[in-house]
Formats: sequence, C-alpha cells, structure tokens
Amino acid sequence: MPNQPVPDQAMPTGGKTALQVRNLDFFYGDFKGLNNVSLDIAHKKVTAFIGPSGCGKSTLLRTFNRMYDLYPGQRAEGQILFHGNNLLDKSQDVNLVRAKIGMVFQKPTPFPMTIYDNIAFGVRLYERMSKSAMDDRVEWALNKAALWGEVKDKLQQNGLSLSGGQQQRLCIARAVAVKPEIVLLDEPTSALDPISTAKIEELINELKSEYTIAIVTHNMQQAARISDFTAFMYLGELIEFNETATIFMRPGKKQTEDYITGRFG
Amino acid sequence: MSELSATAGNDMHAQQVRKFRLQDRLFHHTTQLFALVVLAALVGILVSLSLEAWPSLKAFGPAFLWTNVWSVPDDQYGALAAIYGTVVTSVLALLFAVPVSFGIALFLTETCPVWLRRPLGTAIELLAGIPSIVYGIWGLFVFAPLFADYVQPPLQALLGEVPVIGGWFSGPPIGVGILTASIVLSMMVIPFIASVMRDVFETVPHVLKESAYGVGCTTWEVTRNIVLPYTRVGVIGGIMLGLGRALGETMAVTFVIGNANRINGSLFAPGTSIAATLANEFGEADPGLHIASLFALGLVLFIITFVVLAISRWLISRSMGSEGL
Amino acid sequence: MMSLYTRRIWINRIGITLSMVAMSLGLVALLWILWTLFSRGFAALSWDLFTQDTPAPGSEGGGLRNAIVGSGLILLFSMLIATPIGILAGIYLAEYGRISKFAAFTRFITDIMLSAPSIVIGLFVYALFVVTTGGFSGWAGSLALALIAIPVVVRTTENMLKLVPTSLREAAFAVGAPRWQVSIKVTLRAVQSGVVTGVLLAMARITGETAPLLFTALNNQFFSTNMAEPMGNLPVVIYQFALSPYDNWVNLAWGGALLIALLVLTVNIGVRIAFRNKAKR
Repeated sequence: MPNQPVPDQAMPTGGKTALQVRNLDFFYGDFKGLNNVSLDIAHKKVTAFIGPSGCGKSTLLRTFNRMYDLYPGQRAEGQILFHGNNLLDKSQDVNLVRAKIGMVFQKPTPFPMTIYDNIAFGVRLYERMSKSAMDDRVEWALNKAALWGEVKDKLQQNGLSLSGGQQQRLCIARAVAVKPEIVLLDEPTSALDPISTAKIEELINELKSEYTIAIVTHNMQQAARISDFTAFMYLGELIEFNETATIFMRPGKKQTEDYITGRFG
Repeated sequence: MSELSATAGNDMHAQQVRKFRLQDRLFHHTTQLFALVVLAALVGILVSLSLEAWPSLKAFGPAFLWTNVWSVPDDQYGALAAIYGTVVTSVLALLFAVPVSFGIALFLTETCPVWLRRPLGTAIELLAGIPSIVYGIWGLFVFAPLFADYVQPPLQALLGEVPVIGGWFSGPPIGVGILTASIVLSMMVIPFIASVMRDVFETVPHVLKESAYGVGCTTWEVTRNIVLPYTRVGVIGGIMLGLGRALGETMAVTFVIGNANRINGSLFAPGTSIAATLANEFGEADPGLHIASLFALGLVLFIITFVVLAISRWLISRSMGSEGL
Repeated sequence: MMSLYTRRIWINRIGITLSMVAMSLGLVALLWILWTLFSRGFAALSWDLFTQDTPAPGSEGGGLRNAIVGSGLILLFSMLIATPIGILAGIYLAEYGRISKFAAFTRFITDIMLSAPSIVIGLFVYALFVVTTGGFSGWAGSLALALIAIPVVVRTTENMLKLVPTSLREAAFAVGAPRWQVSIKVTLRAVQSGVVTGVLLAMARITGETAPLLFTALNNQFFSTNMAEPMGNLPVVIYQFALSPYDNWVNLAWGGALLIALLVLTVNIGVRIAFRNKAKR
C-alpha cells in the first residue's frame, strides 16, 4: 500500500509539506470512516477541511495527533509522514506526537486550574524552566492568542471564569504555549458568537506565519475566508483538494460544486 | 525512539517521554493494586469464614441447614430456625415494601409537581441514611407496644378463626415477633427499592411515554403498559437488591424479632434470624462447636446474600445499559 | 362507551391516589422516627452527656463522653484507611474500566460488597485480626468499618470521574500529557468536590454501623484513647443500654441515637445542598 503512486491532487503546489497523508484508512470497529485518503498539509499555511456532517473531516484531523488511540475500537491504517516518520507506527510514541502536533477542540475546555496553570501545565510536561521564564512563556502565549490584555490582571483566577470566546482563546494559547509545529483546530468557532468567531479568525491569520494549521469547519464561508488550501470530503473520501480560491471559484468535481453552491448540506 | 523533528531539545523530549511511560505503568499497577483490596476482602471473607466454621461443618454436615435445634448445653446446632426467620422476615418485608416503593417511584416520576420532586426524593433517601440501630430502638420502644395494643388484637379477632390463615395470627400479642420485624425491615428497604425503581423509570425514553399519552392513555395506563414492561428487568433487579439488604440486616431485626431460636407457625411469635443470632450469641459463645456453628451461620448468610446481590446487580446493569460498562 | 371511559378514569384516580398514599407512608415513617428520636433523645441532651463517661450498671446519671470520643477515633482511622484506597480504586475503575475485563469484574464485585451484610464483615475481621492479635481493639473496629466504607468511596469516585466530559480529557491528552497526569491533575481535579462528597457520605454510612463493631472494637466502659484496646463507641453502647433494665441507661441510649442520627442527617442534607449550589454555578 505505501508504494502506490501519489495521486496528483495530493500536491497542489511544490511548496514544503508538514504532513504527508498516504492511503489512510480509518475504522470504527467494522465501519470504515475514511477510505484511502491521500494529501499533503502545506508547511506554515492554513488547510481547511469542509464537507457535510459525517464526511470524516474530524476523523481525519484526529488521526494527525493519534487522538483515536484513546478508544479501543478505533484504528487507522496507512501512513502519515511527519519529518519522514510514520505517525501511525505502533512504535511511535503518542505523547511525543502530541507535543509537536497540538489540538483545539470545538467545545472550549479550560482545565480546572488557574489561567496561568492552564498554560503552564503543557509547558511543564516537556520543559524545565524557572518561574520568570515560565511567566514570560505564559505572557507570550496569551499574547499570541490576543488574550493577554484581558487577563493579565487575573492570571490566578480559575479558567472557567472566562467567557466562552475567551475560554477558546485560552485553549489556543494553551496549544501554542508548548511550541508545536502543527496546530489542529476542530471546528473551533462553532460554539461561539460572531464577534468571538471574528477574533479567532483574525488570530488564525496571524498564527499561520509561525505554525502549520489544519482546520475543520462546517462553515464554508469561514474556510473561504481564512484558508490557503481546502479539502472537500464526502462519505469518508477526499473528493477534491486544491488552493482555496480554485476550490471555491472553479471546482473541478461536480460534487464539490454542488456542496459549495448549497445543493446539499 | 525515532527523531520527530530537527529542533533542539528533542533529546529532552525523548527522555521525558520514556519517563512518562514508566510513570503511566506505575500508575496502572498502583491503582489496580488498590482496586484489588475489595476482591481480596471477598476472598478473605470466604476463606476465613469457612476455616472458622469447619469444625461445625464437619460435625453436622449439610444437615446443618435443615436441622431445627440450637442447644448450647448439648452442643447441638442446626440452622433451620435462623434460616427460617431470615427468609420469612425478608420475604414479608418485600411483600410490604415492593408496592409501597413502586407507589413512591410512580409518584416521584409522574405525579409529583416538579418543584417538590427533589425535596421529597431527598426525604426518601434520608430514610435510607438512618442507621439501622435507630430503626431497632424505635421499633422496640415505640412501634412494638403500639403494635401489640392496637394492631395485633384486632388482627387476631378478625382473622383468628379463618381456617389456614388464622394460625398465622395466633399466640399472645406481645408486639415483638416475626411480623413486627418484617414491618420494620420493610421500612428499611423501601428507600433502596424506591430509588432503583425511580432511576430505572427515568430511563424510559420520553418519546415512548409521550406517544402513549398522545393516544389518550391515563397516567396509570402508561405506567402499567409502557413503563413497567420496559423497565421490568431493572425493577426485578431493584427488588432483589432490597432482598439482599433485608437478608443481611442485623440491628433493626435483633431488637424486635423476639430472639427465640425456634420455629413457630405464627407471625406473632418471636423467632430469630441469622444476623440476630450472631449479634446475640457471639459475644459470649464458647470456643469450639458453638463458635464454629455461628461462623457457619455467617457463611450461609454471606453466600445467600452474595448470590442474591449478584443476580440483582446483573439485572440492574442489563436494564440500565451502559451502567455496567 | 361512556362507562368504559369512566372506568379507566377511576382506575387511574385510584392508582394515583395509592401512589400518593405510598409517598405519605414513607414521609410518615421518616417523620415518626425523627420525632421519636428528638423527643426521647432531647431529654438526654445535657452537658453531662458530653462530659461524663458511661455509668456502671445501677449507678445514676452518667454520660457518653468515652463513647463519643471512641467513635470519633474509630471513625477517623477507618476513613483514613478507606479514603485513599477507595479513591485510587475508583480512579482505576474509571480509567481502565471500559478497556479491561478485569476492571469490569472488579466493579461488579465492588457493587455486591456495597450491600453485603455488615455483620459478616465483623466476623471476618474478628477471625483475621482479633483472634490473631489476641483481643478486641479499636484498630480492628476501624478496619471493619473501613471495609464497609471502601466500596462506597470507590463507587462514588468512579461515578464522578465518569461525568467528566471526554472533550476535557482529550484536551489534556492533546498537549501530550501522560495518562496519570490527565487522570489526577485534570479529571480528578474537575470533580474533586464530588469525590469529597462521596467520602462524606461513606462516613455517614459507617457512623451508625453497630454489628461489625460488636466483634471487633467491642466496647469500653471507661474513657480511653488506646486503639489497641477495646474502644468505647456509640452504637454498641446504644445496643447494650437500650436492652437494659436501667432507666438512665435507656435514656442515654436515646441520647446517643439522637447524636448519631443528627450527624448522619446533617452530612446527608448538607452534602446535597452544597452540591446543588455547585451544580447551579
């Protein structure tokens, strides 16, 4: 399986790639959730995954950081190459993967700790630093998430005391604090109001200069606004993958066009 | 450990990750060890009780279970009276408790105004929290005298002459006895059965009930024809839970059962249960066959309740679905 | 047609009425017992109750000081034993329960032990401890009560941990945290008040247990804090005094019963109120 030729649409540009997905299959027990997916995630660009409910976009995202490992019935086959190594390999340490590939979830999930500790928790896992260095890192991360101004005086307050939009930005700060290479965002704004959504989209735009970003969204307009590349998925298969402008203005496949023009949801 | 990136500090990562793996393994085994405590206790109970009961088991064999004798001077022991008392009081207690528990569960899930549900539900659960010794002294000092004065004589007058049943209500109305113990016992198990029934009733999907109401069923009809069949397994499980508790109850029964190690056909007569016998006699038992027989009683009680509770748990988890998962 | 309908309405009315009767019976029982406790126990409430020790047979007055202190000590140590064991075991069941058959089996057994006859636990500790160490002791009593409390703590801890949303756990795993840190620093911390509640409820449960103490701690007529000796405790004192012919003894028994019931009810109600406030926030 790994020796099949790479399909054309996996590499729309000649740029540097962060992740190379090759012939990925995914199973929930006996049910096949992903079927022979291959594509490249471009380095320091935003790649969006769109498609109707149940198409497998979240499933795909969650293979990138081996999140499915937590659930005994779920398994993935194929290759996801990160710096030449297959992430899906049994010998690959899962915690190491997650230290380099972070994730922000749909529902804001601040840890039951102070705002400061929320950020420091992940950093402390892999880096030893003095209190002042940690203070700097926390400030840096919160700045990156455009949250510093709002919380700098209440770092010792519980993370749950923030509003929904602030909590989500806290989760983003938490994800970047450990300095990953890739940040995965699983429908990060679907639980938020429009103003918070706008703030976060602005954030993503700034973050992409330093991190590779993969975002799942059910909001096509969002994908069109913020991503460089878009992948359209349907029923577990990758239907089309190209630069965002191309997907939205001159989609190659009829299915893609139907979805984008709203013929089916 | 494969290199995941070219950044510096990767060695630190790999080292940390190795440490984490070790810590996780330690975590798994430590927590597992503590979880084993409960299993160890179970095994310990079976082993120690059997060892201590051995002299008696050897002397009397299985006949111990159906011999009705308990004589300390003669060193002759048979468990029948105690087993009889245990079983009869528990079954009678269930006879009273099940309809009342069902009524309470029905009330709390269907009839009760929503704002009252929590306080009343809490009130019933408080009944479960009251220590059994309190039930015991209440039963002895308050309930039994009232029972002897106001309930037993009328019952006797009413049913005393009826052919078969009359015999159940014969004998002097002393207040304490099998019937009193059964009633007090039923008060103790009602909150348990009611609470399981209530939990199980609440698993019935709203749409199911709503479709029944939608065709014009009354509350009673919905309960009888939709809720009960749907929750049948869980309800039986709850009843068996009550039975398991009733069988092992000590203090509430000891105070009001009359503590007479014999079998008498009348419900008004004093009797004993396994737990009551243990509570009464263990303190001053002679080493040798007496103590060994008491341990044998304990073993019998444990095995009976274990089986009942195992069946109950299995039924309840089947009914509640992922509860057992 | 009409009579069929009326019949159904009447059956329904009777059914509903009977359910209300059942509820009332439950409430009446509760109130009756509480009323008895308060009226008879109140008479025994006095300064002496807390400052005097249990009186010798036939002598006047007396109090329950040694029994109260003894119960306090026994409870303290049994909770000290039961809490860490119960919480760690509960963590085991919550973390590995879904993926391990052994864990599922352990949960099954724990549930059964939850309702096992406490007198049998007393017999077990007697055979294990009292016989081997040569005498009744407060330690044996604490051990017996701990064995009764552990399944309660295990079950409530596990139930609480299972309430934590998977998204929170996944978020902790997503930063690369090892399983033990996710479990302790995130999951457990998220429900720590619930776990504390479970511990308190376990304590309330063992406060009134008499049978296991009969064969382990026995009783001590005099004031003592020596756990290696028979230790005075409220439940056994109540048991002995209630069945005695002495008026002051019976009086003290009611006082003791009231104390125990007050503690148990306070914990039960207090925990529910505190929990409701937490849930509202």
